[in-house]
Amino acid sequence: MADHLAPRDEADLVEIVRDARAKRTRLAVEGRGTRAALGRPIETEATLSLAGLTGVTLYEPAELVMTALPGTPLSEIRARLAENGQELAFDPIEHAALFGHEPGSTTIAAAFAINASGPRRPKIGAARDHLLGFRAVNGLGESFKSGGRVMKNVTGFDLSKLVCGSFGTLAVLSEVTFKVMPRAATTETLAVLGLPDDDAGRLMREASGLPQEVDAAAHLPASVAGPFAGTSTTLIRLDGPPVSVASREADLVARWRDRGEIEILGEDASRRLWDDLREARPIVAAEGPIWRLSLAPSDGPRVVAAIRAADLPLEAWVYDWAGGLVWLAFAGRAGPLAARLRAIVAEAGGHATLIRADEDERRAEAPFHPQPAPLAALAARVARAFDPDGILSPGRMTAIPTKEA
Amino acid sequence: MSLTMPAPEPEILAARDDLIARLREIVKPANVVHLDRELAPWECDALTMYRQKPLVVVLPETVAEVAAVMRLAAELNVKVVPRGAGTSLSGGSLPLADGILLAMGKFNRILEVDFENRVARVQPGVTNLAITNAVAHRGFYYAPDPSSQIACSIGGNVAENAGGVHCLKYGLTTNNVLGVEMVLIGGEVVRLGGKHLDSEGYDLIGLVTGSEGLLGVITEVTVRILQKPETARGVLLGFDDVKAGADCVAAIIAAGIIPGGMEMMDKAAIAAAEAFRPCGYPSDAEGLVIVELDGTAAEVDHLVGEVAKIAEANGATSVRVSTSEAERLGFWFGRKNAFPAVGAIGPDYLCMDGTIPRGRLADVLTRMDELAAKHGLRVANVFHAGDGNLHPLILYDAAIPGDTEKAEAFGADILRLCVEVGGVLTGEHGVGVEKRDLMGEMFDEVDLGQQERVKCAFDANGRLNPGKVFPTLHRCAEMGFMHVRSGDLPFPEIPRF
Amino acid sequence: MQTNFLPHLLADPDVALAEKILRKCVHCGFCTATCPTFLELGDERDSPRGRIYLIKEMLETGRPADAETVTHLDRCLTCLACMTTCPSGVDYMHLVDHARAHVAKTYERPLADRLFRRMLRLVIPNPSIFRLALIGANLARPFARWLPAKFAGLFALAPKRLPPPSWVDAAQTIPAKGARRRRVALLSGCAQTALDTAINEATVRLLTRLGVEVVVAEGMGCCGALEHHMGETDAAHARAAKNIRAWTREIDGGGLDAIVVNTSGCGTTVKDYGHMFRNDARLAEDAARVSGLARDVSELLADLDLAAALVARPRLRVAYHSACSMQHGQKITTLPMELLAKAGFEVVPIPESHVCCGSAGTYNILQPDLATRLRDRKVANIATVAPDVIAAGNVGCMVQIGTGTPTPIVHTVELLDWATGGPIPDGLEALTASENASA
Repeated sequence: MADHLAPRDEADLVEIVRDARAKRTRLAVEGRGTRAALGRPIETEATLSLAGLTGVTLYEPAELVMTALPGTPLSEIRARLAENGQELAFDPIEHAALFGHEPGSTTIAAAFAINASGPRRPKIGAARDHLLGFRAVNGLGESFKSGGRVMKNVTGFDLSKLVCGSFGTLAVLSEVTFKVMPRAATTETLAVLGLPDDDAGRLMREASGLPQEVDAAAHLPASVAGPFAGTSTTLIRLDGPPVSVASREADLVARWRDRGEIEILGEDASRRLWDDLREARPIVAAEGPIWRLSLAPSDGPRVVAAIRAADLPLEAWVYDWAGGLVWLAFAGRAGPLAARLRAIVAEAGGHATLIRADEDERRAEAPFHPQPAPLAALAARVARAFDPDGILSPGRMTAIPTKEA
Repeated sequence: MSLTMPAPEPEILAARDDLIARLREIVKPANVVHLDRELAPWECDALTMYRQKPLVVVLPETVAEVAAVMRLAAELNVKVVPRGAGTSLSGGSLPLADGILLAMGKFNRILEVDFENRVARVQPGVTNLAITNAVAHRGFYYAPDPSSQIACSIGGNVAENAGGVHCLKYGLTTNNVLGVEMVLIGGEVVRLGGKHLDSEGYDLIGLVTGSEGLLGVITEVTVRILQKPETARGVLLGFDDVKAGADCVAAIIAAGIIPGGMEMMDKAAIAAAEAFRPCGYPSDAEGLVIVELDGTAAEVDHLVGEVAKIAEANGATSVRVSTSEAERLGFWFGRKNAFPAVGAIGPDYLCMDGTIPRGRLADVLTRMDELAAKHGLRVANVFHAGDGNLHPLILYDAAIPGDTEKAEAFGADILRLCVEVGGVLTGEHGVGVEKRDLMGEMFDEVDLGQQERVKCAFDANGRLNPGKVFPTLHRCAEMGFMHVRSGDLPFPEIPRF
Repeated sequence: MQTNFLPHLLADPDVALAEKILRKCVHCGFCTATCPTFLELGDERDSPRGRIYLIKEMLETGRPADAETVTHLDRCLTCLACMTTCPSGVDYMHLVDHARAHVAKTYERPLADRLFRRMLRLVIPNPSIFRLALIGANLARPFARWLPAKFAGLFALAPKRLPPPSWVDAAQTIPAKGARRRRVALLSGCAQTALDTAINEATVRLLTRLGVEVVVAEGMGCCGALEHHMGETDAAHARAAKNIRAWTREIDGGGLDAIVVNTSGCGTTVKDYGHMFRNDARLAEDAARVSGLARDVSELLADLDLAAALVARPRLRVAYHSACSMQHGQKITTLPMELLAKAGFEVVPIPESHVCCGSAGTYNILQPDLATRLRDRKVANIATVAPDVIAAGNVGCMVQIGTGTPTPIVHTVELLDWATGGPIPDGLEALTASENASA
């Protein structure tokens, strides 16, 4: 059984990493350990948990900024923000439905480390777009900082972008400072019923380019579970002051009246629906592997059609980001279909990530989309710039081809 | 000029003729500029305080030419400084006496506009405004809009992570770039991202954006284009005291309103802008706030009312709401031309670019006046009030001996003040050479060491735009980058330079 | 920007002025964005900012001009788009004028170039010689490919059909129709009187119809712009002086309300006579008076009652091309469009309207490659708005654009003359016939 290391403060964290480096101990870096099944499985001598480093250390609502320790659960962050009518606008996915943990239990550091986002990603950005600055400990056991607490900052390299989506392989976050935004006074959703994928794709793309400022656009085919099971449903989200939502809604209903039956979902139903979409809940019931595709929006329906034509065992699929994000649930095992799926996606110019699969399958199939050689080499050099000995979650993102120490 | 740049390497200077001959084999001979009298136009960018003629200027026309130049530079161990439109205010493309200046001006074509996916794929020399102009007929625009948008190139925008007046709501360049093609120091061409969100592996686009030409030469950019809001209206607020203006800005944000843009100008800047071309700014105001609200007509009308109420509660002496598009653009005209307009009264100016926590605005302005008195120079202030990004314009006269040094010292004091109150050295202009030696005010050795090791991952010999951003140059081996243990290089299969 | 002039050079008032202009440039680079040659070539040396630096290097030491600097100065169209863009108020026009004079004084061009330029200076400002040359060009056209490449531009521009000299260009006073409201002198122009006599005829018809007495002054001739832009200051001043004297006689005699110019390139120069002669004790005052009275024809028309004279005409879709000398040189931007709209035409703006068409005086003859690129760019922009007719206020642009598009191009006054009862402009007959048929 691997050691479980849980620092009480940053100094402690520095000690742990330095010690690990000296002893050549590899560390599996985690927040609260809810998503160990995301990415490549790794074997390490110890687990480094940030669960003990919690708390909001700075919150200035008028400046739209908050600083928190890495292990702070999202539930705590959300509660503090709600007191001032604010929110984490990037709406990070928690994989709660996918991996079966309590919503709100994941940490703020993890939201950044996996570059989490939600259905509003095309409009409002992902975690990377909201991290203003951070403190972290690199693989040399050095504590360093980058960025700041202000909205606009180009002082030095933007390492915030690098740590976002690095899955703990570059540095261990010890403090994060991020942008928070006012929570919209209202949210409502237009549901256009009965559109096939292609038409739904066109509608979503059209919606994204309208001055009515659509906040999110998703499509549930008839086959997926949930409140709309049996009817394909295209969902258009509108956030804002009531006067604004009402006028945009009226414009859009008038515009799309002839496309299909339109239902309006009120505030509560809307919020529930988009929370579920963020968590990919409509497809989690499937038994087999779950993939996530990132594509140009117009390629979403096209790629799904190609996958279906290729006779891969596709069970269910959902479009988000106006077609730019596709969740796929397959029957059977990931192995036999990975190469064919990736070939189809690569042809379109996007990437495919294996989100949920058995451990051995995730070990065998690179969960993250493989990169061209020059880029992979560059990424490896970047990793070495932070963690020259490869002690921080080695192999989480890509297989490490080195000899074992 | 008190700036120290890396000492020119005598062997490179000696081999100049050979280099020129080799470059003329790669690009059209007319695109290699080497006569001393022809190099002056490239001796600086928009930061004129520091000037240096380059060893040679190359104007490539294709990606293959860029790659070949980079390979040649690697072979001969010559430094390379990339340059876009030459509008940097931090000296990001200040040439080196022993370096090739790679001028990307000929990469000026828009390659593709994909309205369906709301992206445009462009060459790096295309100007920021040209992107908007190319998509405006369908009601789209490119959101980041630095004041120099008419002339600055998108390649330079990516290199500097350029901002503008709409950042609070629409983000900086980094939030609006989806794909980048770049040539690495060894001549390899890599493509990062594309038309999709979420790049594969590490977010190298995010890293490259704002890396000031230290990591690679950008040869293509894919940007997001946005639908123009249905309506945008400007509100022009006058205050008889700058603090009241600052408080008003804070109150607007605290009320949950995120304006498309929110700008502030002080009396000196108002006067300069009005002198350039009258745009109806209240001439008696001590401070001016321009608020732009955009969205649907109903939403904008609602917000304009809210902002006017907040402004009155915060002591605004004048409130003007634009009633036409021409009037709204008129509100912006003076602000957009404020820098060079101040130049007209300067005669020279040094434009600073610190960002501070918004709440400290009034305090910082008061202390800046004290600093102005201490240094005996005038200062005009324009700032992106919504995000706390200050642009103090220090007026000086380069013809007066000692004035330049005074301006530099004043500027440094202003930036120290920004850092002291919890802000940063630069909000959007970049570090370049201008703020390079102040990096220590904000970062310690370890912080900088981490950034320098990232630089080493891209450019192990420090040949790409050296002398910028980092106050001291370390050799990468010294940084522990080529980490060797028991005689074995880790990851021996990974190609090294 | 900082300058380092040798102190003794600054004793020359022209150099001192150049230094003052240079000091205003803050090197922001905004001008590069609207400079046609930078848009085409992407080379800093072919941008206003780059040229300013090249000029600075040359003038600071007073050294003779060199081939490279001359190349980049020659490529400048003097369209002055940079001056419209410049927020620091850099007077590029007078800086480049001075630099060109310095080039003319200190640089010996290759023999062929010298002879060619001398030929242009001899021919173009002299209508009778120019007319003969154009006839000659038409006769020689079949042999064009055996002539030096330099002549290509010239051949391209020579119209295939040449009008005979017009009565309107002879020295005379043409009375107003009805009550006289104004008395003005008209600059007949040089090339214009050979290339397109319809413009002056339309101008005189239109003005007299609106109650203006038009004087074609004895002794008036080419405004001098052509030589001025070639840096031949003395020759340019000699021509300007002749005009100043001719008009001064009229001002002191019958009196003048305005000196009307219907070619905006010439208008920019006449408006600059005051500056050109500022250090000339004998002519400074008269030159300033002349410049003060100079008006583009559109400026005069704005003061007259056009509406009262309108007759019914088909509502053509007119793309208005703003000549650089009009919009950047004289800062007349929307006025001609307003006049056309008032006259009942549908006026559409042309995208990238600030970018030069490549005509620029003799530029299309001296720099045919770049001029053609710019013409094609202009023509493509015009095509996007699909007009029935193109209107412009400068004969040079009309000839230049006309070589690249089948769409008819006429002078703004020709349309206004037609709209107030004059004859239909050449080239529009077919168009209006079909318009009438469909109406």
